[in-house]
Amino acid sequence: MLFGRKKRKPITIPQKKVKEWKYTTCNYCSTGCSIEIGLGEDNKIVTSRGHAGADVNRGKLCIKGILEHELFTSPGRGTEPLIRDKHFEEFEQTTWDNALDVTATKIKEIQQKYGRDAFAVVSTGQLLTEEFYTLGKLTRGCIGTNNYDGNTTLCMASAVSGYKRSFGADGPPGCYDDFEHTHCFMAFGSNLPEQHPIIYWRLKEALEKRKFPLIVVDPRVTMLAQFADIHLPITPGTDCVLINSMMHVIINEGLQDTAYIDAHTQGFDEIKALVQDYDPKVAQHECGIDEDTIRNVARLYANAPAAMSIWTMGINQSTHGSDGVANINNLNLITGNIGKPGGTSLSITGQCNAMGTREWSSCSGLPGYRYLENADDRQEIADYWGIDPEFFPKQRGMAQTDIFPAIETGEIKGMWLVATNPMTSMPNTSRIRKMLESLDFLVVQDVYRDVETNQYSHVYFPASVWSEKEGCHTNTERRVNLISKIVPCFANSKPDLWIFNQMAKRFENGKKIKFPDKAEDVFNEMKELSKGQSYGRPRNLDISGMSYEKIIKARGIQWPYRDTDEGLKGTPRLYSDGIFPTKSGKANLIPVKFFNNNEQPCNDYPFWLNSGRVVEHFHTRTRTGKIGNCNKFSPTPYMEMNPDAALALGIEHMSYVRLTSRRGDAVVMVQLTQRVAQNMVFIPFHFHDCVNRLTLGLLDPYSRQPAFKQCSVRIQPVDQAEAARLNVERRSY
Amino acid sequence: MTEEVTINETNTTSAVQSFDPKASASTPEQEGRSNHWEVRTQEQNYAYLPDQPIKEKNRYGKRIDLLDITDVGIEQPEANRSMFINENPEVGSNPNRNKQHGFFFTADNCIGCHACESACAEKNDTPAHLAFRSVGYVEGGSYPDYKRMNISMACNHCDDPVCLKGCPTRAYTKHAEYGAVLQDPETCFGCGYCTWVCPYNAPQLDPVKGQVSKCNMCVDRLEVGLKPACVSACVGNALDFGVIENTPENREQCKTSIPGFPDPSITQPNIRFQQTKSMPIEMTRPDSMPVKYHRNEKGDYKPVIDQKTGKAKHWNFSKLNSRENPLVIFTLFAQAAIGVFFIPFLGALLGVDALINFNQSAMFLPLIITTLTMTTFALLMSVSHLGKPHRFYRGFNNLRHSPMAREGFGLALFSAGCGLIALFSLPTNFWVVEVAQQTLALDLPQLTRDFPLATLIKVTGIFTLIAGFAGLFYMNMCYQIKARPFWNHLQTATSFTGNSLSLGALVSGVIVISTLLVQKQDINQVLTIFASVFITGMIIEGIGLIVHNYQLNRNEDEGGAAHYVQCTTFGKSYLLRNYLLAFNIIASTILLTLQLLNVIDSSLLLVWLVLAILNCFTAVIGRALFYILVIPTTMPGAFFWRNKGFEQHARDIGLADNPATGVAPLH
Repeated sequence: MLFGRKKRKPITIPQKKVKEWKYTTCNYCSTGCSIEIGLGEDNKIVTSRGHAGADVNRGKLCIKGILEHELFTSPGRGTEPLIRDKHFEEFEQTTWDNALDVTATKIKEIQQKYGRDAFAVVSTGQLLTEEFYTLGKLTRGCIGTNNYDGNTTLCMASAVSGYKRSFGADGPPGCYDDFEHTHCFMAFGSNLPEQHPIIYWRLKEALEKRKFPLIVVDPRVTMLAQFADIHLPITPGTDCVLINSMMHVIINEGLQDTAYIDAHTQGFDEIKALVQDYDPKVAQHECGIDEDTIRNVARLYANAPAAMSIWTMGINQSTHGSDGVANINNLNLITGNIGKPGGTSLSITGQCNAMGTREWSSCSGLPGYRYLENADDRQEIADYWGIDPEFFPKQRGMAQTDIFPAIETGEIKGMWLVATNPMTSMPNTSRIRKMLESLDFLVVQDVYRDVETNQYSHVYFPASVWSEKEGCHTNTERRVNLISKIVPCFANSKPDLWIFNQMAKRFENGKKIKFPDKAEDVFNEMKELSKGQSYGRPRNLDISGMSYEKIIKARGIQWPYRDTDEGLKGTPRLYSDGIFPTKSGKANLIPVKFFNNNEQPCNDYPFWLNSGRVVEHFHTRTRTGKIGNCNKFSPTPYMEMNPDAALALGIEHMSYVRLTSRRGDAVVMVQLTQRVAQNMVFIPFHFHDCVNRLTLGLLDPYSRQPAFKQCSVRIQPVDQAEAARLNVERRSY
Repeated sequence: MTEEVTINETNTTSAVQSFDPKASASTPEQEGRSNHWEVRTQEQNYAYLPDQPIKEKNRYGKRIDLLDITDVGIEQPEANRSMFINENPEVGSNPNRNKQHGFFFTADNCIGCHACESACAEKNDTPAHLAFRSVGYVEGGSYPDYKRMNISMACNHCDDPVCLKGCPTRAYTKHAEYGAVLQDPETCFGCGYCTWVCPYNAPQLDPVKGQVSKCNMCVDRLEVGLKPACVSACVGNALDFGVIENTPENREQCKTSIPGFPDPSITQPNIRFQQTKSMPIEMTRPDSMPVKYHRNEKGDYKPVIDQKTGKAKHWNFSKLNSRENPLVIFTLFAQAAIGVFFIPFLGALLGVDALINFNQSAMFLPLIITTLTMTTFALLMSVSHLGKPHRFYRGFNNLRHSPMAREGFGLALFSAGCGLIALFSLPTNFWVVEVAQQTLALDLPQLTRDFPLATLIKVTGIFTLIAGFAGLFYMNMCYQIKARPFWNHLQTATSFTGNSLSLGALVSGVIVISTLLVQKQDINQVLTIFASVFITGMIIEGIGLIVHNYQLNRNEDEGGAAHYVQCTTFGKSYLLRNYLLAFNIIASTILLTLQLLNVIDSSLLLVWLVLAILNCFTAVIGRALFYILVIPTTMPGAFFWRNKGFEQHARDIGLADNPATGVAPLH
């Protein structure tokens, strides 16, 4: 001890005294990080840590993951089922039996009166895969409504649609290991440091070992854009123009991989013809990137031995979302960058189990990437479940974003919302509010009683969360990983699997179809269904080799992993053999013609409104808004605005403004920063009664995903005291 | 249906035994390591401290091996002594445990993802309104050529730990192990002085718990050879840690400062940086501090004033009423009390007849008791400002280093001296003698006639005078802090001395002059003395203010920024104080001159009284401004977190009542 101290002072550092570490997987985003939760002497959670031996995160966790173990006891959790006759009445506590009985009866009443499809089920990307599969079984097999979708329509539908159109099936073909092999990395509308910090870290690790060019397309100067070698501050919504123009350069300069194109793709001539309209000289005026830069980037990408693209909501959430994905696939196909190390089209998924719902929930078809439109698929599933195939519709019903408007038209009379919060998450909140208000019957199943959508429900099911249950997730790189049950269910909440199983018992077909109680038994059903062939070739989505034990041992296994596979490795990349799950086995090159149907800034509404995520929050803040050490970094909604634009309007840093659009208004605190352009503002989407009161959300024609990120607003002064009061009142967490 | 409902829990129990490192027989990760921390299964390389050659001295010439410069006479002088972390007697297995360690921050890489902060919060169980490590940022440029530089900062475990030196309770220890500067919250009494002196905002005063806590360097992890939790959690590969002056693998620079970082010469912090990416010439802070950073010709970034709130002058009178009120009262009363004693006592020592007479009068005891009461009240106020007032007695534990301990000690001795003088005055005090005679039938003068009371009073008085001066001197020294340039100025000394004189003259003047008036003696001489002292006090304060204003108007640092706030947010209040002081000096001087020239009669006592009371009002405004305005040389905050402006707003609108907002509500 220095400075003259002779007697020691006690050194007290909090000790967690872990008795046992329990394995689980993070329940926030799709990165799929492995977490160990530490239980103390009394089996209470005392701490958690990243699993150092897991290939995905190698011991690292982001802020949300580090603090995730605090969420089990956060305020606002549902303790008992609740019921009421009208949404404006007070809730009364009820039993599970009664809540389930009333719900089943109401569903049947509505279906009898208005037809089977008048009751809609909208779920999420947050449940476990076994639960998704069971919900699919319940909805497709027992309730029998065709209006069944997940909130993944708000985030991943465009990626799914684009993958299906290009490759014949959904499923990201690449993996995080591609960073270690790529020679050119291009990110479209993806801000890894903020949205997927651990994937960013994997990229950074690769970059520290071996430098390769980083190209970032983003209208906002995000951290990733700032770190990029080349940042393309694109005009919102014009990615397709940029990519077409890049392909114009590549094809006209003969930089394409002709051998690959000939062997593994179809439709090159159409692409070649189309891109002639997108000479960089012309395209630059539409996409806002100068022709020299377009040529430079195109050549860099095409000449790289392996080049890869990633994208997130910047592509998906636009009117050309599906086209954007198809066009990124086009770029990678013509440069031969699919299925090879460092060469891929990797959609960075949003929710922890968006992949699980895509694979197994039957939202857009039948389990295991099967299609309702395919008679063989219908027959196969009906046989496996033991019901009449005629019970299935022969075509997919409405997507989430069409289901809600169908309430306005009276087609939908009742709805079951599972772990989703459209009152905050869907565009044009005032419209959604009116829709929910007018439902005959709404049941909300959620971890939190104070989830804003619950304002309009008639029955509320309190669900268990994360490691109160057991089951699997699939991450962005197709890795199936396990969530273990570590703590007892909170109060009288129940695992979603249990809720679905109980509901099934109340329907006719529920007595015919097996609904296993144990998650692993459900998983075994999925394994069985994942075997077999599609278009005469083995299914890619094959998990038949997996078991919970193997998954936990490997800390996640990437599909396809067949029962004949040795070891625990799984398959890191799809389509490495150049064979695609289309009829011909070749990938489709899809010409994408751009038309600008976005709401553009104009005299009345002169600013682009962009929305997005911040690292400390997840979705509608139902979880992170209640964990102080997350929430404190943005406890209240704010807007990034350019200081020069603010000066012209007399708006000061840290003051409130009111934004208006053609839909409604929002009050936010202004953060002045040159991160955004003079004609653009950015607002995080996490806050209730905020940015989505303004958004238009035009729908993508293929994916039905809303264009959250392209609309226009006006900025008006507001009384500061009044605004502060509104800011506090508009949300309870 | 009830049957299924009841079997809920059993349905969902785990099908697979979870991974359990303790159950698996071999934990090779722990092998050869002490038991302070459980190393993770398959722990990755990034978490282990590297084995690198170690320099002998750091760039400031300090030895990196701290064992040799450890003070002698400690319990266990040998290298392998235990730190007794959580009373664990095991000795850490880290071979470099006696070397000075420090953080290494690659500013080029930080993405501002908060992983370090949350890992720290998780490990140390800190509540949302507190953090041992915080990430702020500076930004510059113009779209799309925009640059944001995030800065993650915790304690820098300095070579010259000003927190340790400042702490009056000796709650801080700089250990030879890792050079860690650790603080014991159970010793701390929550004065917050360490949070004033630290330039990096490392010590955290918890207003809820009323005590300070801080970064502990994760010495438990270091003992087993692991880097601290924040470093191990870093997702941008920005934070690193190791023996100081060692450049981590893959890094090429090892410098002591980056834009936004306070001058390292203040404390010689044990942190090194890499920052190779060019930044715009000017970097601004997103928080409410009116400071930005400007690159000079040498390429260093220096703070300059950022006129965030324009140039308009405001009153904000109600904001003068703040949490620092007890300190305003404490300093003013303590300074006044010293003056109350000092003026008549020193006057008498210097042979002023009227004062010699007064000191021998029955009113001397009430004057001393007034002084004692004022000092006691002042000390009570200072104690009430503590987070843990019942631990007040620890305030003298660090006389060796802490000006605050010395200030307190000086004032305590001053009070004791006053008490003794009062005691020695009792037997000769007319009223006391009377009362003793009548109620107890004691003849006090008779009983104490063998005691040299007059000499005792004189000697004790001189002692008290010295103690008072020492208290005043160290009260001033408390604020001569490099991390607070607004205070670190002559003005603090002039204000304290000036107020001691002007306020002391008022109180002692009222007592002495009223005594003389009752005794029907001539007051001309003493009135001149008190008036002169009063005016001198105000002139001293005024000179300090003029110099302060002149220099801070030209200072492009946090002091200048604080002065900018003084001239804008509180501009009208500041001017009012200055005008009142100037008016008072002029009016008093004219009055005194006229009096000395015998133009007017000395009976204009009421006018003097009004002027002296006006000065009290001026002094209160001045002192309130002194405390509210100070801007420390601290790290940049973010838009919400570590933004004083937002914290205040959150408290004003009630957002702070939700603990998840991360702002302590303070009510």
